[in-house]
Amino acid sequence: MIYFYDGSKDAFLTALLYAFSDDDAVLTSGRAQLSLSQKTVFVCTDKRRAEKAKKRLLELDKDSMSDLDTLLRSGEEDRDTVALNYFKFLAKAGKPVRGMLAEDAVAAADACIRRVNFEVHRMHGFLRFMECESGALYAPCAPDADIVDLLARHFLVRLKGYPFVIHDTKRQKAAVSDGTKLFTAPLGQAEVVLSADEEAWQALWREYYKTVNIPSRERLKQMRGYMPVRYWKFLPEKNDPPN
Amino acid sequence: MISEDRLRILTESAKYDVSCSSSGSGRKNEGGIGNGYAAGCCHSFTPDGRCISLLKILLSNDCIFHCRYCMSRAGADVPRATAEPQEICELVMDFYKRNYIEGLFLSSAVHISPDYTMERLLEVVKKLRTEYKFFGYVHVKGIPRADPLLVHETAKYADRMSYNIELPSEESLKLLAPQKSRESLLVPMLRLQRERAEFKAERKKGHFLPAGQTTQMIVGASPERDGKILRLSEGLYRNAGLKRVYYSSYVPLVHDGILPDEPAAAGACREHRLYQADWLLRFYGFSVEELVEEGEDLPLDLDPKCAWALRNLHLFPVEVNRAPLEVLLRVPGIGARSAYKITEARKYTTLDFSALKKMRVVLKRARHFITANGKFCGAAEREIRGLLTAGERAENAVQLDLFSYAETERARSVRTGEL
Repeated sequence: MIYFYDGSKDAFLTALLYAFSDDDAVLTSGRAQLSLSQKTVFVCTDKRRAEKAKKRLLELDKDSMSDLDTLLRSGEEDRDTVALNYFKFLAKAGKPVRGMLAEDAVAAADACIRRVNFEVHRMHGFLRFMECESGALYAPCAPDADIVDLLARHFLVRLKGYPFVIHDTKRQKAAVSDGTKLFTAPLGQAEVVLSADEEAWQALWREYYKTVNIPSRERLKQMRGYMPVRYWKFLPEKNDPPN
Repeated sequence: MISEDRLRILTESAKYDVSCSSSGSGRKNEGGIGNGYAAGCCHSFTPDGRCISLLKILLSNDCIFHCRYCMSRAGADVPRATAEPQEICELVMDFYKRNYIEGLFLSSAVHISPDYTMERLLEVVKKLRTEYKFFGYVHVKGIPRADPLLVHETAKYADRMSYNIELPSEESLKLLAPQKSRESLLVPMLRLQRERAEFKAERKKGHFLPAGQTTQMIVGASPERDGKILRLSEGLYRNAGLKRVYYSSYVPLVHDGILPDEPAAAGACREHRLYQADWLLRFYGFSVEELVEEGEDLPLDLDPKCAWALRNLHLFPVEVNRAPLEVLLRVPGIGARSAYKITEARKYTTLDFSALKKMRVVLKRARHFITANGKFCGAAEREIRGLLTAGERAENAVQLDLFSYAETERARSVRTGEL
């Protein structure tokens, strides 16, 4: 059976209970190809059931909710089913299963969690802020996973006191900080007025990027491996300024 | 704001310093901007495949030393520039808050005198920490022959310092960098190491090189062999407590009768092999004697672990379900991550080849050196070397299907009657 849900944690936990004994369950919060032979169910959040499932999972594995949080952030299409299979396996095993990497359900979840965490790490490096006229910093990005709030936590500590916005243009949401607190909000398009010096700093950075390269040792494949092209869109050093 | 021209001049000669790691410091943001990132963080990658983590810049490229391989040496006809400490600080602050960089890598030519230069470097890093309240990563180059007190003071503000050994032997140093001597580089390195240990023991407030020291050697400008270079590295890790030794394949920038004019053909590959061997020394429990003879080079067609395993085939194959971690780490193709996965997963079940594959343990090389649940999927002893070097040659080798090998093994066993 195909189970549709809204992508929230509580709805997931509700769906987990519904789909628990269905071995061919496919769970999705996006669009799924409907086939004639499969039935579909739309699962709504049931607070009481979700609480029950959460309590039980935490008894079995105290880190289970942080695993769930990470898995649901993934941008991969099968993330919901991967998470479903992992938690079903956990519930059936009755003890933490994180180390059972030879099990399909665990290996898939482990790989998915690893990719999300790796992207968070990458984006700590690849995010680029622009300085606005007001002094606030604005960083557009389009990561594979839904991680702007995680990124914001890192920059809140690092840029203590600076107001900033990290804008996920793909999901149309933003993590916003006034320099001391954090919140997330939907954000479609942002009107940004850059500070007077911003373009000059970007130009200086481009010059640095160009100079620090050693042209006689070109290894483009290696560069693209470490810094995939999909991350280039918001990097000043990879985009010439508009004339 | 520093001008583009001066930034270019000051970066142009700093870029051959390969050290760019920003790891090892857990410095906290104490009410300003910036903090350490213990795992290190790369912010960009240049077309030469190297990362940009730190802003690499010289305070000055106006040098009184005559190192013959260096483009900034005294008397060379190159544009000269010297930055004001304030210019560097502003550059760091503005690059950092835009998240272009993880910190600063500050070096300098020996400008006017070693003491004068060290004093200026100290001024920059002190200013950054105290006036600009910058708590990001700072790596400062030590200047040979500078006053130890200045160096000590600098170490209180920097996360990491480094003296470049430059060349792997005293003779080469004398020939190519006449004003530097082994002693002018090693003595301050060892002194800093001692002071750092004392600082740690006293548990005082503040910092003293939380990320330790590193060094760098130029490879290919002088005749030393890999065996000699790696023995030097091992000594530095053991005796001077260095965090890293960097190897920089020589890039000819200067025409000089005693220097090679062309980069060595094997340059990049040799450098790569040295790093692989270096990792084996630091993380895989190898000693240099196991890897290469003093008067020899590492093989280029095989990675050093494969080469070691081929010389020690009597130790293999090992059973993945029983071999201790330190033995797994010595299997070619199994790295720290795979070894960890195997030791975790085998607590719960007996691992066979399909389980290893599922766990994404790369078996291309490893299959010749392991058994999984008693089964061996590798090639015959005399074929292994050829298969391993062939894999290295084909740059875009396709990942082969494990079971196609199981098949050929079965076919062979049918042919020979051996089980």
